[in-house]
Amino acid sequence: MKLAIEKLISWLRQHRELGPLIGLAALCILFEVFSKGKFLTFPQLSALAALSASLGIVAVGVTLLMISGEFDLSVSQTFALAPILMATLITEVGLPSILALFLALLGVSFVGLINGVISTLARVPSLIVTLGMLFVITSVNRIIAGGFPVQLFGIEDPILGLMGSDVPGTPVGAPFLWMLAVFALSWFVLDRTQYGSWIRAAGHNAGEVGRAMGVPIRVVKVTNFVLCSVLAGLAGCLQLADFGSAGVNSGENYNLLAIVAVVMGGTSLFGVRGTVLGTLLGTLMIGTLKTGLILVGAGGEYYTGLIGILLLLASLVNVKAESLRRKGG
Amino acid sequence: MIQVEGKVSKRPIVQLKNISRRFGKIEVLRDISFSLRRGEVVGLVGDNGAGKSTLVKIISGYLRPTSGKMEVRGQEIQFSSPRHSRKLGIETVYQDLAIIGQLSLWRNFFLGKEKKKKIFGISVLDRNVMKKTCLEQLRSFGLKSINSANQSAENLSGGERQTLAIARAVYFESRLLILDEPVAALSVRETRKVMEMIQLAKSQKIAILYIDHNMNHVVPVADRIAVVEHGEIKRVVRRGEMTANELSDLVAQSGPN
Repeated sequence: MKLAIEKLISWLRQHRELGPLIGLAALCILFEVFSKGKFLTFPQLSALAALSASLGIVAVGVTLLMISGEFDLSVSQTFALAPILMATLITEVGLPSILALFLALLGVSFVGLINGVISTLARVPSLIVTLGMLFVITSVNRIIAGGFPVQLFGIEDPILGLMGSDVPGTPVGAPFLWMLAVFALSWFVLDRTQYGSWIRAAGHNAGEVGRAMGVPIRVVKVTNFVLCSVLAGLAGCLQLADFGSAGVNSGENYNLLAIVAVVMGGTSLFGVRGTVLGTLLGTLMIGTLKTGLILVGAGGEYYTGLIGILLLLASLVNVKAESLRRKGG
Repeated sequence: MIQVEGKVSKRPIVQLKNISRRFGKIEVLRDISFSLRRGEVVGLVGDNGAGKSTLVKIISGYLRPTSGKMEVRGQEIQFSSPRHSRKLGIETVYQDLAIIGQLSLWRNFFLGKEKKKKIFGISVLDRNVMKKTCLEQLRSFGLKSINSANQSAENLSGGERQTLAIARAVYFESRLLILDEPVAALSVRETRKVMEMIQLAKSQKIAILYIDHNMNHVVPVADRIAVVEHGEIKRVVRRGEMTANELSDLVAQSGPN
């Protein structure tokens, strides 16, 4: 009996996504009740899926980075840079969309590379490095786009269709499926590969134990910065394919919302612990809050406040869990 | 310069020849020559700042020497990283850097040397084999109370953590095990357990470099003890030559004024 209880406690502590799952279920029930049965319907859920897709993909990259003990505040502008580059290469240079996508992602990978190299080699805290990069990329985006949104309206292209159109016969957009694929792939990497173990090792005590064990911590961290930028760029390009346009403000607040989704999903603020499943739930919680508030007719002014409250609650639980862990509780 | 040489005639696992290390204008290690052979325990003692940690970092691949040569089984080597040193069979167990508490036992045990298998051409972790092996190894090292390799390492006691680290080094057939103050924060009972682990590792013909401030720990296990002072090896004491108290007095005399 005692062994069974110990096993249950150990299981609960290892499955940090249980908290966000309960939170998501509670929000769904709440909005279902207040909307008199209109929330858990197919149109409403497909709206939730559409809202969650972009943020979810960005949040995956941020999850990997936070597990390895780093942050990226520049993702919101990286999110805008990739589609601006892609659209410019298609409309101004005349490149095929697949090549434009590849070059756009290559471009944003350099953003991650610079973030990673400065953070890990020069040992400048990543919050500061990526904050600086946020301002730099904002400027770059304004220069390239010239202050106007880039547009791809009227361009018939199978690649753009694959990236952004709805799944035939359903109102579900392709970006949501891309998001699920990104989540599945990153779960596989984090849980089933050597690189996943190394990501976690990088998050502990600035990676010192991992380094002592021969793990190339700097390479892991720089790779994560690059992955984070590429995923943010991919999310931006998917949104471009979906909406047909993108601008400097396309990913506004995604840098902060992604951190909110990751923390609400149970990823530790101190690195090592965290799951992409938790982040998926955290992303869905944010989407649920937004669509639910619209449905029940609450003003948009409540949205940011409630996100803040949820983040504070999640952080309190996070810090409490960590302090219990350190005490061996 | 004093050579730390043992009586054993076998070729050394690791040999340092005139190793020096500078940090700017400060020479932290000077002309250190040192050898370690299979199945022997060499103690490394000295006051704080004597250069012990720098020497450990050079042997474990963290730092490069400014001058001098290092040979591993007769081959001259310049380590590029701790990973390189581990590949050549040198495992280091640090007091605070042995284990990542938040990770499971099996992930800790195999960290940096994970077992993999191919599934559809993709390299994935061989989780079942690692879990099974980890549990078997920990049990064979006396950690009988552990029921699952899935459990988090944060609930292990200090002694159990060091045991895991030593078991890992033995499992990976390390040729040289460096123990950097492994019992500094442990209880008497746990210290005794770690000492037993050292004897076990020694019986498996692993060379051991043992660093400790407490001479009562060093003297019983070491075959030779090198006393480091101001970045140099000042004296080598053989087993039975000095008591722990005499050795403490020697280190105290050689410490900073």
